Amino acid sequence: MADLHISGLHKYYGDVHAVRGVDLEIPAGEFTVLVGPSGCGKSTLLRAIAGLEDADKGTIEIGGQVVNDLPPRSRDIAMVFQNYALYPYMNVFDNIAFGLRSRNTPKSEIEPRVRRTAQMLAIGHLLDRYPRQLSGGQLQRVAIGRAVVRSARLYLFDEPLSNLDAQLRDEMRGEIKRLHQELGRTMIYVTHDQIEAMTMADRIVLLRDGTIEQAGTPLDLFERPATRYVAAFLGSPAMNFIDASLVAKSDTLALRLSDGATLALPQRRTVNLLNRVDQPVVLGVRPEHIGRATAGERPGLARYTGSIELLQPTGSRTYATFNLGGTRAVAELQAHDVSTTNQQIELSIDMNRVVIIDPTTDRVLS
Amino acid sequence: MTPLARRRATRLGLRLAAAVALTLIFMFPIYWLYMISFKTAAEIYSFPPKWYPGTFNLDTYRVLFRDGDAATVGNSLIVAFCSTALAMFLGFICAYSLARFSTGGKHLANWIISQRMIPPIAVVFPIFLLYVWLDLVDTYIGVILLYTAFNLPYVIWMMRGYIMDVPRALEESALVDGYTRWQVLWKVVLPMCRAGLAATMIFTFVFAWNDFIFALVLTRTEVATYTVQITHYFGGQSNFWAKISAMSVLGTLPIFVATGFMQRYFVRGLSLGAVKG
Amino acid sequence: MRSGQGATFGERNFRYLLVMPAIFVLLLVGVFPLVYLVMVSFQGITMTETSTDFIGFANYWQLFGDARLWQALLHTLIITAVALPLELVLGLAMAQLFLDRLPGRAIFIALLVLPVVISPIVSGATWALLFDHRFGPINQIIGWFMGRETILLWTINPSLVYPAIIVAEIWQWTPFMFLLLLAALGNVDRSQLEAAAIDGAGWWRTFFRIVLPAIAPVMTVAVLIRGLDLFRLFDIVWALTQGGPGTMTETISVFTYIKGFRQFETSYTAAVALLVIVLLSALVMYLLKRVELAR
Repeated sequence: MADLHISGLHKYYGDVHAVRGVDLEIPAGEFTVLVGPSGCGKSTLLRAIAGLEDADKGTIEIGGQVVNDLPPRSRDIAMVFQNYALYPYMNVFDNIAFGLRSRNTPKSEIEPRVRRTAQMLAIGHLLDRYPRQLSGGQLQRVAIGRAVVRSARLYLFDEPLSNLDAQLRDEMRGEIKRLHQELGRTMIYVTHDQIEAMTMADRIVLLRDGTIEQAGTPLDLFERPATRYVAAFLGSPAMNFIDASLVAKSDTLALRLSDGATLALPQRRTVNLLNRVDQPVVLGVRPEHIGRATAGERPGLARYTGSIELLQPTGSRTYATFNLGGTRAVAELQAHDVSTTNQQIELSIDMNRVVIIDPTTDRVLS
Repeated sequence: MTPLARRRATRLGLRLAAAVALTLIFMFPIYWLYMISFKTAAEIYSFPPKWYPGTFNLDTYRVLFRDGDAATVGNSLIVAFCSTALAMFLGFICAYSLARFSTGGKHLANWIISQRMIPPIAVVFPIFLLYVWLDLVDTYIGVILLYTAFNLPYVIWMMRGYIMDVPRALEESALVDGYTRWQVLWKVVLPMCRAGLAATMIFTFVFAWNDFIFALVLTRTEVATYTVQITHYFGGQSNFWAKISAMSVLGTLPIFVATGFMQRYFVRGLSLGAVKG
Repeated sequence: MRSGQGATFGERNFRYLLVMPAIFVLLLVGVFPLVYLVMVSFQGITMTETSTDFIGFANYWQLFGDARLWQALLHTLIITAVALPLELVLGLAMAQLFLDRLPGRAIFIALLVLPVVISPIVSGATWALLFDHRFGPINQIIGWFMGRETILLWTINPSLVYPAIIVAEIWQWTPFMFLLLLAALGNVDRSQLEAAAIDGAGWWRTFFRIVLPAIAPVMTVAVLIRGLDLFRLFDIVWALTQGGPGTMTETISVFTYIKGFRQFETSYTAAVALLVIVLLSALVMYLLKRVELAR
C-alpha cells in the first residue's frame, strides 16, 4: 500500500476549470472518501489519479513516485467503475483473472488467487457465468474482485454503488468497509451520497466547484464544519439556517431572531463572537438538536414556542416543520410529541451544538 | 515538452501523415478520371502520361452535349428520382405497418429481407422476358418499376427500424386528439423519422443512379442511362477514353455534390444500416 | 371524435392496406421470376429453338456437366476469398486510424467515402484507364520503382487480371467497411477500455480480447453484405475484362449474362439462374444459422 500526495492539481475541460488547485495528502492504508455534488470535480480528480485523464498542472505522487507521465497500467493501481465495466465476452473467472494475465502472472498462481478472491466476495459459485447472467449486486462484486485480486498499492472506487437499489447499497457499503479492514490498503472512494461518505470514511474530503471545501474525519466535518456549505451538505435532514443578529444579554451573548425571540448562547460558545455584537449572523441548528421542551431549565437549552405547519412521521420519529424566526425549520421530535398541525408547541434548542455563521463569508465563526 | 506529450505529438503526426497518404491514394483514381475529361486527345494519348492537363479543355463535354449523349444523364435522373420516390412512399407505409402491427409476423419480414439477397442477374433475366412480352423494354415505367421493386426491401428494413424508435405515445396522443391513422402517419410519424428518411433516400437514389446491369438489359435507346452509355465507348482495340471520362464525370459529379451536402446522413445511414440490420 | 361510429373499412384493414402495394411490387421481383425461371428451365428454348415444349431435366443435366459454369463459380469464389479479408483488414486498420481525434478528420472521411458512391461500372472504367498499358499511370509508377520502363498488360495478362480486378474492387469498397467499422469502434464501451488499461493490458491484448468481440456483430453483418455483393460481381469485371482473357475472369454473373444475352440460350440460362439463387439462399441461410448459434 502507498500514500498519495497531490499538490497544485489543475484540470481543464476546454473552458471548464474542473479541478482548481487541489492539494491533498492521504496517508497509506486509509479509506478516504471524495464527496460532493455532481460537477464538483471529484470524478475528475479520481480519474486524474488513475491516469485516465492528464493533469494540466500540478503533481500526483503515489508512494513517493511522481506518476504524472505514467500510463494507468504503470501506476500499480486498481479501479472499480460505476457501471462495472466488466468484459462481456469473458466469464467471471476470466474477468477477474484479466489483470493478472496481462501482467504475465504464472498460471499456477492465477487460479488459486482468483478463487480466493471470489470466495472472499461470496461469488465463488459464479466463476463460470457470464456478466449478462448476473444481477447488479453480483456484477459489482465481480468488479470489486477484479480490482482486489491484484495487490495494487492504491484502490480507486468511482461511485460503485450508484447503480444499485437502496437495499443492496446498504449491504454493499458494509461489505466494502469490511474489505478495507481485511486488506488494509489505501482506498479512495468517490460518491455524491453523504451517507456513504459518513459511514465508510476514515477521512472525508468534501469538494465543491473544483476545490476542497473541507477535509477531515466524518465527525470533524459533521460537528465542526468550516463553512455553511459543509454544514448544509452533511446530515439528513439538513441543518436549519436562520437569520439572526448577535446581541448582548445578561453576561453572555444571545441571538435575536426576526420575530423578536432571543436564544441565549452558553458562555463558552461566545469566545470568537465578542467582536460581532449587534451584527447580523446566521444561526445553524440541526433538526436533531431541536426537541420538545421538558420541565426544568437545563444549561444550554433555549426555549422557543413554535406553531407546527407540517408533520412527517417516520415511525420512531416525527419531523415537524415550524416557523423559527421567519424561516421554515425542521425539528426532530419523538413520535408522540405532537399529533396535529397548527398546534403551538414548546421546543428546546440545544445551543451547545449550534453553529454561528458569518453571512458574508459563509464561514463558521463558532 | 514532457516525454508523454512528446510521444503523443509524434503519434499524432504519424497518424496525420498516414491519413494524408491514404486519402491521396484513394483519391488518385478519381483525380485521374476527372483529369482525363479535360485533356486534349494529344495529351491523353501521350506516353509517358501527363499528370495534369495543360489547359482546361471542355471539348469532350461539348461533343457529348451536342451528340445528345449527355441526355442519358437526364434519363438516369428521371429513373432514379421516380423509383426513389415510389420506393420511399410504398416502403415507408409498409414499414409502418410492420413496425407497429407486426403485420405478417416474422414470415413477411423475413421474406422481404430475403428479396434483397437475390442476385440481380437472376432477376433481370426473367424480368426481361416478361418485359418483352409486355412490351415494356426500353420504357421509363419498366425500369422505374424494377428499381422500385429492388429498393423496397432496403427501404422497408431501414424505415422499420427508424419507426420503431419513435415513441408510440406520440401517435396515441394524436389518435386521442382525433386524427385518423393515415393522418398520424404523415403528420406525426414522418417528421420524427426525418433523419432516417434522408439517409435511406440517399442510398436508394444512389443505388438506382449507379445501376448498370438492369439498365444494360432493359434499356435500348430511349431510356439508356449514363452507365450504359459509358460502355458504348468501349472499343475492341481502343476506348474513347475522353468520352468515357467525361461521361463518368457527368455521372458522378451530381452524386458527389449530393453526398457532400448530406454527409452526415450518408455516413449515419451506412453505419446504422449495419447496426440495425 | 369518431366514437360512436363503427370503424371504416380503411381503418379496420389499415395495416393490410399499407403493406399491399409494397408486397404487390415485390411479388413482381420476388415470386414471378422464380416461377417463370422454373417454367422456362424445363423448356428447350435456345437461340434457334422457340418451341415451349417441356423437355424435362435436360437443362439441369447439362448444368452439372458444364465445366465453364463451375469454373465461373470458382472464379467468383477466388475473388471473394481474396478481396473480402483484404477489405476487412484494411477497413479495420483505417477505422482504427481515424478513431481518435485528428485535425481535419471530417474532411478526410468525406473524401474517403467517395469511391463508394461511384457506380461500379465507372469504377471499372476508371481502373481500366489506370491500368492501360499504353497510357495508364500505374505502369508509369511501377516503372519508377523498378527503375526501368514497365509495360504490364493488366487486363490481358492471365497472371495480372485477377490482381487488377481485386485492386479495383478493394479500392471501391474498403471505404464502406471503413465507415461501418468506424461506427462500431466508436460504440465500444469506453469504461471497458479504461478498465483494461488499468488492469495492465497492452494494445494487442485489449484489441483482441475486448474490442474485437465487441465489434464482432457489425463485422459479421459487413462481411455478409460484402460477401453477397462479391458473389454478384458483374460491373467491374465487365468494364475491365468482359470476363476475359477467354473465360478466365468470368464470374457467375458474367457467365449467366453471356449465356442469356449473347448466346440466347434462354432455357439453359434459366436453369443457371435458378442454380445461382438456390446456392446463394443456401449460403445465406447457413451463415445466418452460424451467426445465431454464435450468440
